[in-house]
Amino acid sequence: MPTPDFAFLPDFPPPLGALTLFGLLLLAGLVGGHLVRQVRLPAITGYVAVGMLVGHTGLGLLTAELLQQARVFVDISLGLLLYDLGRRLDLQWLRQDRWLLASGVSESLLSFVLIYVALALYGLSPLYAAIGAAIGISTSPAVVMLIAQENRAEGQVTERALSLVAMNSVAAFVIVTVLLSVLHLEYRASWVSIVLHPLYLLAGSMLLGVVAWALALALGRWLGKREERQFVMLVALVVLTVGSANMLRLSVVLALLVFGILVKNFDRRHRVLPLELGVRAQLFLVVLFVVAGASLDARYLAVAGGAGLVYVAVRFVGKMLGVMLWAPLSGLRPKSAALLGLALTPMAGFAVVMVQDVWGLYPEPDVQALAVVTSAVVLLEILGPVAVQFALRRAGEAGVPR
Amino acid sequence: MEPLRFTPSSPYTMGVELELQVVNTRDYNLARGAADLLERLGRVELPGEVKPEITESMIELNSSVHARHGALLAELRLMRDAVALHAGKLNLAICGGGTHPFQQWAERRIYSESRFEYLSDLYGYLAKQFTVFGQHIHVGCGSGDDAIYLVHALARYVPHFIALSASSPFSQGVDTAFDSSRLNAIAAFPLSGSMPFVQSWDELNAYVAKMYRFRIIGSMKDFYWDIRPKPEYGTIEIRVCDTPLTVERAAALAAYAQALAHRLLAERPHRPTRDAYLVYNYNRFQASRFGLRGNFIDPHTERHVMLADDIARTLEELAPYAEALESREPIEGLRASVASGENDAAWLRDAYQRTHSFTDVVRLQAARWAGREQ
Repeated sequence: MPTPDFAFLPDFPPPLGALTLFGLLLLAGLVGGHLVRQVRLPAITGYVAVGMLVGHTGLGLLTAELLQQARVFVDISLGLLLYDLGRRLDLQWLRQDRWLLASGVSESLLSFVLIYVALALYGLSPLYAAIGAAIGISTSPAVVMLIAQENRAEGQVTERALSLVAMNSVAAFVIVTVLLSVLHLEYRASWVSIVLHPLYLLAGSMLLGVVAWALALALGRWLGKREERQFVMLVALVVLTVGSANMLRLSVVLALLVFGILVKNFDRRHRVLPLELGVRAQLFLVVLFVVAGASLDARYLAVAGGAGLVYVAVRFVGKMLGVMLWAPLSGLRPKSAALLGLALTPMAGFAVVMVQDVWGLYPEPDVQALAVVTSAVVLLEILGPVAVQFALRRAGEAGVPR
Repeated sequence: MEPLRFTPSSPYTMGVELELQVVNTRDYNLARGAADLLERLGRVELPGEVKPEITESMIELNSSVHARHGALLAELRLMRDAVALHAGKLNLAICGGGTHPFQQWAERRIYSESRFEYLSDLYGYLAKQFTVFGQHIHVGCGSGDDAIYLVHALARYVPHFIALSASSPFSQGVDTAFDSSRLNAIAAFPLSGSMPFVQSWDELNAYVAKMYRFRIIGSMKDFYWDIRPKPEYGTIEIRVCDTPLTVERAAALAAYAQALAHRLLAERPHRPTRDAYLVYNYNRFQASRFGLRGNFIDPHTERHVMLADDIARTLEELAPYAEALESREPIEGLRASVASGENDAAWLRDAYQRTHSFTDVVRLQAARWAGREQ
């Protein structure tokens, strides 16, 4: 008990606080990234590895409580990235090259079907198998975008990969949301919530994106084409949208994607400057991946590592086939198509969030399904960045690294 | 070194080479896409030829040889449309213009081919700064001596071609104050400038052989002269033009060169003199800095006139030749443009005035090139 004389001293141990946490995570990421770069691995792998080391799986320094504190930084960085990703979905391009749209649909569909079959054979109930498969549709936007930036990659494989990621992220989110309503049915929720919850999520999130878009257009017009001001405007709108989505229990992913897609495709007078927010907010991305690593529970590997591996394999086959199928018509060389398929490997960190959201809804979740999907995510957090970097470099699209 | 032989070609035929910008459709910066685009175009039946250039953000359109402006323009439009179509499928856009307004030269990548890699090694940062886009005009000549005469006679008109084609007011994100800033990038190369004052094909051969013996050059290709003979094609090649913003302008410039060459070789109005080269750099600077409003010193009369006036007068003199070559229409078009004082540099500055954004400027440039202007 401190005497009144020493009341100015902090409690012991002093509470960490969000800022200290942010700084520590950043330093940890820096160290990890620097170390793995020595062996020519992507920095992301280092961020994730450090995260795993200090998180659940490793030393357990990052407790669930601290992770919750870090959530705000993760949300900001995800928001910025998802806006960038939405801007990569160019409807005009999809009109000019319909086969790109076709490969987006087929790779999503094939990976869903193959994972579903595998999970069903593994013994999961059809509903959980479907949810597990739907989560696997999405490729991690964060990993693909950051690897592309880190390598200054540019070219058809990079551009197409980012478009496909945008498409499969939307697809995964919509399908998971629809399946959620079926899950409600399973748990005998009221009809009202079965119908209204997905409707609220989809329509509400989209509406939020529309509002952000309308504000961006109006503000962009008022501010004029000044980069610094528009950058502040966009970051403000992105953070505001993320915050509102959380407040209203809507989807951050869908709202931000819709925001980006609308700005890219429905800004006829070009009021909003084409700024990439992610590049300018690298710091947040480092923290994003450290936290992603820390949140993963690699112990699931022991429970369902084999099944996770099968999940990864069939998902890979689905994406690869889906892309290769249309490559000749899209005028893509077989080698480029294969590398494009490879670049779709990473699984989204927010897949984990989706998994936890789904499984957290009801008291007796199917732990087995959770274990398989989490194992796959753990494997791909490690393999994914390496695969993307390999693909972009082999495609000859990587520039001189920054 | 074997003496260069000038393969005669039929006089006053013409062809153009256009270096074009390959840009992305997100922020309209230069994109790395030449290889993919060329691969696609390789599978399409096209007149002329589409070739890679030193950086991955540039392609070159080569027309075939034409005797008439109409056929040249038709072919260029066909090529333009095919290239635009396939670029669209790759989510790329194509545009004219002598420079990209805001690209950073350090970010350019050299197209992987041995000659380009050699140049990049040799010239270091100059090779990347050389990310500029020009139009080359070839005019056929009946003999090497004709070609030498024509190169000297055309020297007086170099400022005309600079001012009429100028389309590079912006570079590295700033207004350079020049109408053609592209020419400044070329001046840095040691073998740029103008052809030495030789009087015949044999004299040129002797000069080239000497430079080869000094091991300064490996071949004629190493000279980056403003106008040079191209013995294997049997042409002279005018290399001072920026790539215009439209194929129409590009074809009109070729028609101008054609009619001018016809007049010069038919009338031989002046004997080449060294004095003509005394005013050369002054006139060239005035044209690239001020465009049509530049000052022009006539090397023969020693009078100062505004460049636009000299061009207008020349266009008038060419009327009978334009008639014979069926190019009255493009020559008339050039005269109208000179009368209004407008060139592509002015158009670009106006686009920036309206939009306050270089991204928007390039977007408009691409639309203008594709022939669908808003």
